[in-house]
Amino acid sequence: MIRADVSKQKKNYLIGLILVCFFIIFPFLVDAETSYTVYFFYTAFLYIILAQGWNLVAGYAGQVSLGQHAFFGLGCYVTAITWRAGITGYLDPVAMLMSGVGAAIVAIAIGLPLLAKLRGAYFALGTLGLGEILRVVALNGGSFTEGPSGISISSSVYLSMRHYYFIALLIVLITLLFVWFIMQSRTGLALVAIREDETAAAANGIAVLKYKIFAFAGGAFVTGLAGSLNAYYTFHTHTAGAFNLNWVIIPILMVILGGIGTFVGPIVGAFVLLAVFELTSLLTPELHPLFTAAFIIVVTLFLPGGIMSYITGRKDMILRKLSPFKWLFQKT
Amino acid sequence: MTFFPSSSVFFQVVINGILLGCMYGIAAIGLSLIFGTMRIIFLAQGAVMILAAYCIYWLVTLTPIDPLFGFLLILPVFLGFGWLMYKGFFQRVAKAGENPSLLLAFGLMVLLQQLMSMIWTADVRAVKTTYAMSSIPLGDINISISRLIVAVVALIATGLVFLFLKKTMLGKAVRGASEDMGTAALLGISPIRVSAATFAIGIALAGVAGVATCITYPFDPYFGFLFSLKALIAVAFGGLGSVGGALLGGIILGLLESLSAYLISPGWADAVAYAAFLLILILRPEGLLGRRTIEKA
Repeated sequence: MIRADVSKQKKNYLIGLILVCFFIIFPFLVDAETSYTVYFFYTAFLYIILAQGWNLVAGYAGQVSLGQHAFFGLGCYVTAITWRAGITGYLDPVAMLMSGVGAAIVAIAIGLPLLAKLRGAYFALGTLGLGEILRVVALNGGSFTEGPSGISISSSVYLSMRHYYFIALLIVLITLLFVWFIMQSRTGLALVAIREDETAAAANGIAVLKYKIFAFAGGAFVTGLAGSLNAYYTFHTHTAGAFNLNWVIIPILMVILGGIGTFVGPIVGAFVLLAVFELTSLLTPELHPLFTAAFIIVVTLFLPGGIMSYITGRKDMILRKLSPFKWLFQKT
Repeated sequence: MTFFPSSSVFFQVVINGILLGCMYGIAAIGLSLIFGTMRIIFLAQGAVMILAAYCIYWLVTLTPIDPLFGFLLILPVFLGFGWLMYKGFFQRVAKAGENPSLLLAFGLMVLLQQLMSMIWTADVRAVKTTYAMSSIPLGDINISISRLIVAVVALIATGLVFLFLKKTMLGKAVRGASEDMGTAALLGISPIRVSAATFAIGIALAGVAGVATCITYPFDPYFGFLFSLKALIAVAFGGLGSVGGALLGGIILGLLESLSAYLISPGWADAVAYAAFLLILILRPEGLLGRRTIEKA
C-alpha cells in the first residue's frame, strides 16, 4: 500500500515536471507576440497565483478573505509609484519584491486585529471593508496616486510578451512551491487543524493567531507579486482596474470550482474557468457573461465539491448514485 | 471655515441621511434574515432589488399605474420568486455548505445582471413620479416626499417582519432555527420549510427595497452590487441575524455617508463608512443590537 502511494507520488511529480517543461518550451514554438495561446496562458498564470494565494488562506487555514483585491491593488500601486518616481525600473525584481512585502506588511497590520477578533463571515466582511477602504484612499490620494485617472507610464519600454510570460510562470512556480512546502510541513498541519477546529487546535498548543497571520500574509505576498506584474503589463494603474472586485471574486470561483483546500484544484479551476470565459466570449460575444453565470450555477448545483472532488471521488460517487439500485446487484 | 455653517443645513443632511439609510435598512433586513437561518451571504440581493426596480419601470411606462401600487404587486410576486429560488437552487446546494452557496449567489447575481441588461439594455433608467420633485417644508428644512415614502415603507416592512417573527408559529420556527438549526430540527421544525419561508421573505424585502430605490434614484443593471455591499455593511452594524438591528444599521450607514460627505468630502464618504464598519467589527463583532451569545464561528 505504501509502495503504491510512493509510486503514485512519483508519477505526480513526473506529470508536474513535464507540464513545467511544456510551459517553458511553449512560447518558443509559436510566435509569442501574436499568439492567443501565450496570452491565454499568461492570464491563467496570473489567476493561478491569486487563486493559490486565496486557497492558502481560505482553503487550508479556513479564513475566508474577501479582501485579496486590496493586496493586488496595493502591489499595482507600489510598483507604479516607485516606477514613476524612478526608484525602480521596468520589470524590476526589486519593485516586485517591494510590492509583495508591502502587501504582506499590510496583511499583518490589518490581520492582527481582524484575525484575533473575527471568525467566519465576520472576517470575510472585514477584509471586504479593507479592500474598499484602500480603493477609496487611492481614489482620493491626490498627486500621489493621481486619483481616478490613475498612473500612466509610457509603454515605450515594452520588451516582449515572452518576458511577461516567463515572469508570470516564475511567480506561479514560486507560489506553488511555497504552498507545497508549507503544506508538507508542521505549519501546514497546524493550518488544517485550525480550519477543522480552532478551539481544539488552540487546546493542543497551536499558536492559532500566529499561524493564521502567517497564512494571511503569505497569501497577500503572492497576490502583491501578481499585482506588481499586472502594473507592468497594463502600463496604467488606476483604481477601477487595480482594486476591481474581480481580482478577488474570480480567483475564489476558480478555487471553489477546482476544489477548495486541494493543491491541484486552484490550478485546474483557473484553466477551466478561464477557458469557459474565453470560449464563450469567442463563440457568442453577446451572451458570454450569461453563459459564464449559467456555468457557475450548473457547477455549484451538480459539483458542489469542485472538479477535483469529482475526479478523486468519482468511484464513490458513482456507487452512491447507484445505491437505490443496489438490489439489482445483490443476491437475495 | 466654521465646521457647521448653519444648523438648518446640518439638520437637512441628517434627515437625508436617515431617509437614505431606511432604504439600506429594507435590503439589510432581508439579507440578515437569510443569513440568520441559512448562514448564506446572499450577494444577489442587490440584483434582485434592481430586478424589482425594472419591473416597476415597465409597470409605469406601460400602464398608468402609480409606482406606489408596485409595493403591493411586487410583494406577492417576489415572495413566490424567492420560494422558487430556494426550491430550485439553494435547497440542493445548502447541504454542500457555505462556499458553494456563496458561489451560487454570485452566479445568480451575474445571471440577473446580464438578463436585465439584455432585456432593458444597460442604459440608466429612472421612474418618473408626479411627486418626484415635491417636498414638505418643515421649518428651514425640506423633506422629499419620495424619500419619506421610502422611510415609511421601511418602517412598515420592519414592523411586519417583526410581527411575523414574534406572533406566528412559522416565525417562531424561523427564530428557533436561526438560534440553532440542529436543535430546531430535533424539535420537529423542518429546516427546509423554515429556510424556504425565510428565503421568500428575504427576496420579497429585496423587491420592496427595489421599488423604494426606483422612486428615489436612477438605476442600471449593475447598480445592485453596490447595494449588496451597503446592505452587508448595514447588517454588520446591526448584528448578523437581528431584524431591528439591520434597519438601525442601515440608518447609521446612511447617516455616516451623508454626514461625512457634508463634513469632509463626498469622495471620502465611502471610506468613512467602511472604516466605521471595520471598527465596529473589531470592537463589537456581534453588532450594535446583537446578542453576546451569537455564534461567531
